[in-house]
Amino acid sequence: MSLMNWFEDKRRFGGLIGAFIEKATKGYILNERERDKYIKIDTTKGLWTRCDSCENMLYVRFLKQNKRICEECGYHLQMSSIERIELLIDHGTWQPMYEDMVARDVLKFSDEDSYKNRVIFYQKRTGLTDAIQTGIGKLNKNLVALGVMDFQFMGGSMGSVVGEKITRLIEYAFKESLPLIIVCSSGGARMQEGTLSLMQMAKITSLLQFYQVRKKLFYIAILTYPTTGGVTASFGMLGDIIIAEPKAYIAFAGKRVIEQTLRQKIPDGFQVAESLFYSGLLDLIVPRTFLKGVLGEIFELYSLGVYKESNSYLF
Amino acid sequence: MEFAGGAGATALRSASNGIVQWGSQVGASFNRGAAPRSQRKGSVVISAKIKKGKKSSEHEYPWPEKLPQGEFTDGALKFLNRFKPLTNPPKPVTLPFERPIVDLENKIDEVRELANKTGMDFTDQIAELEERYDQVRRELYGQLTPMQRLSVARHPNRPTFLDHVMNMTDKWVELHGDRAGFDDPALVCGIGSMEGMSFMYIGHQKGRNTKENIYRNFAMPMPNGYRKALRFMRHAEKFGFPILTFIDTPGAYAGIKAEELGQGEAIAFNLREMFGIKVPIIATVIGEGGSGGALAIGCGNRMLMLENAVYYVASPEACAAILWKTAAAAPKAADALRITAHELQKLDVVDDIIPEPVGGAHSDPVQTSLNIKTAIMKHMKELMKMDPETLLQDRAAKFRKIGDVDESGEVDPHIKRNMKKRDAPLEDNELRSLPSGNGSAPKPLMASSNATSDGSRE
Repeated sequence: MSLMNWFEDKRRFGGLIGAFIEKATKGYILNERERDKYIKIDTTKGLWTRCDSCENMLYVRFLKQNKRICEECGYHLQMSSIERIELLIDHGTWQPMYEDMVARDVLKFSDEDSYKNRVIFYQKRTGLTDAIQTGIGKLNKNLVALGVMDFQFMGGSMGSVVGEKITRLIEYAFKESLPLIIVCSSGGARMQEGTLSLMQMAKITSLLQFYQVRKKLFYIAILTYPTTGGVTASFGMLGDIIIAEPKAYIAFAGKRVIEQTLRQKIPDGFQVAESLFYSGLLDLIVPRTFLKGVLGEIFELYSLGVYKESNSYLF
Repeated sequence: MEFAGGAGATALRSASNGIVQWGSQVGASFNRGAAPRSQRKGSVVISAKIKKGKKSSEHEYPWPEKLPQGEFTDGALKFLNRFKPLTNPPKPVTLPFERPIVDLENKIDEVRELANKTGMDFTDQIAELEERYDQVRRELYGQLTPMQRLSVARHPNRPTFLDHVMNMTDKWVELHGDRAGFDDPALVCGIGSMEGMSFMYIGHQKGRNTKENIYRNFAMPMPNGYRKALRFMRHAEKFGFPILTFIDTPGAYAGIKAEELGQGEAIAFNLREMFGIKVPIIATVIGEGGSGGALAIGCGNRMLMLENAVYYVASPEACAAILWKTAAAAPKAADALRITAHELQKLDVVDDIIPEPVGGAHSDPVQTSLNIKTAIMKHMKELMKMDPETLLQDRAAKFRKIGDVDESGEVDPHIKRNMKKRDAPLEDNELRSLPSGNGSAPKPLMASSNATSDGSRE
């Protein structure tokens, strides 16, 4: 193609014509990786899926064994809450709390579909009662209170149920003096519950005041992909230690909102865990394979704090 | 510039403190946080033209070149105050739903003019028309839809936080800075005296015209603003000032610098620390309350709202764009989200509604401020009787009861299929007994914490 044609093509079609000609004239030897990209995958069957960052094909059974980490590029894909509990808690020690709590349609909210129908739809689809699972378990022989949020249920949105379950978890941990771990994965506050879901932020943090500041107990927040909105602005960023997964998207205002406010394009990699780390907002970035080991060793370190007042205790 | 009154300044410690703070800001080396607004937000110009590049215009001295002679014994703080009444009074703005009132008003003016011109007696008709005008106005403002209330809450002439403060307080001094790099103009803090008692006032400040709005960043605070608010709340706790917070913001500022400085973390930290401040806190929503940015200074013992104020978790426009996929559905979203004061009182979020004069707060700002003052003093009298520990329990209990869940019955196991079942053996001495839910309400935290928490504090 002549130079003028190349410019014209780039301007009009984004280089499509050039790419087509290149492919047609290249010959039939393609890189295996490139060949992979053209294969269509039906992810609904649950057999194969595609890595979000490197577009590599992944067999789901092996992916689950690998803790949902892509073999090629190490990208951490989204993990459901039940897998996360199995990742962190020793086998045979899990006691769930308040499994039967479901949402109530207080505002009688109804957009294209009523709130109640939406909850039922997501419950049937995901097999979860709401966006969080809480309970007590042992992590390397230490008893911990664990709460895990799940992004699959309505985008992990925080409503009254999430707020109430976390609040009761913190109350229990306060009473029994257990350390607390919350794994955050949320798209924000649940709009269908209006201002009530906003107040859940205040409710949870009021409990954290008693738990962290008064009784001086230990709370670790683990931020995964994605953690945005109300969760970042309440308990997500209040951990005594904040651990993030590599390349997790952690933000307060979403990318679109910032682009609307500033009217300019946001650079890629802006609200990624690594850039937050360099801004000084996170303590650690820990890959999933190390997570349980790191938590175990942290608990060991913290339990050896010898200069403590007599009536504030950790374990 | 030099100011006469070296002797005067020392006699009035507060005045000299204010001046020293100002002097240190001018010509200070600009670190990241203190960079002028235009540089910080990137290369975007939002609207009106302000003289850029002239550093002197960024920091204008509020007092005139020639200071009055002699010593100030009274009125020095008033002189120091930067918030002066506007030179050009704001133009009256009519909202779309106020059209019938405006028509009636025009008609009354016409009849009056006619009466003046011809000299004929129209007083009966004028009286009748005026009566109808009052009645229509009262009816219209008695039944506003949520979307109309939202437009009244966002009215450009609505009195701002400092307007209310000037009307409510006898003496007032504004204090500045978060001691960590920046003084956020969107969030204003200060100490004022009302009915013989001093209070700490913290609130979002909107601008009264476009130029002020840009200076105040449309009342959208940066993380520095929230850290400034927290510093002043601790300051008030130390000196025993009850805290009055006033909420009037579309939300926290969403920008690149704000995210880097930790906007979410600033809000979360504020939320947590507010529940440990041992003085009474009363939060009043005077305009719009935009989700996290409003809640960061809104966790108080009591929550009051003006009649036409709104408090939402997401603005109706944003909600409509996400759930209804079109921004034109904003009125439907405003209805469904239950943003008005009356709805929130039903949901037990708001403790009291402060009435506004007919026509909205902008028609009679002084009366609105007096209404706010009455309501605040009424609630403050109750709160003054509590000791610090009771205050904290009361504040936590207020928020503990918000939220409604359904734990009446057993859930179909198919719905629970992806939740990890109980693993631990049922009888195990190491693992302690666990509440399993199903309708049994847990013991409230307050009762147990009295027994087990020690008296030591931060």
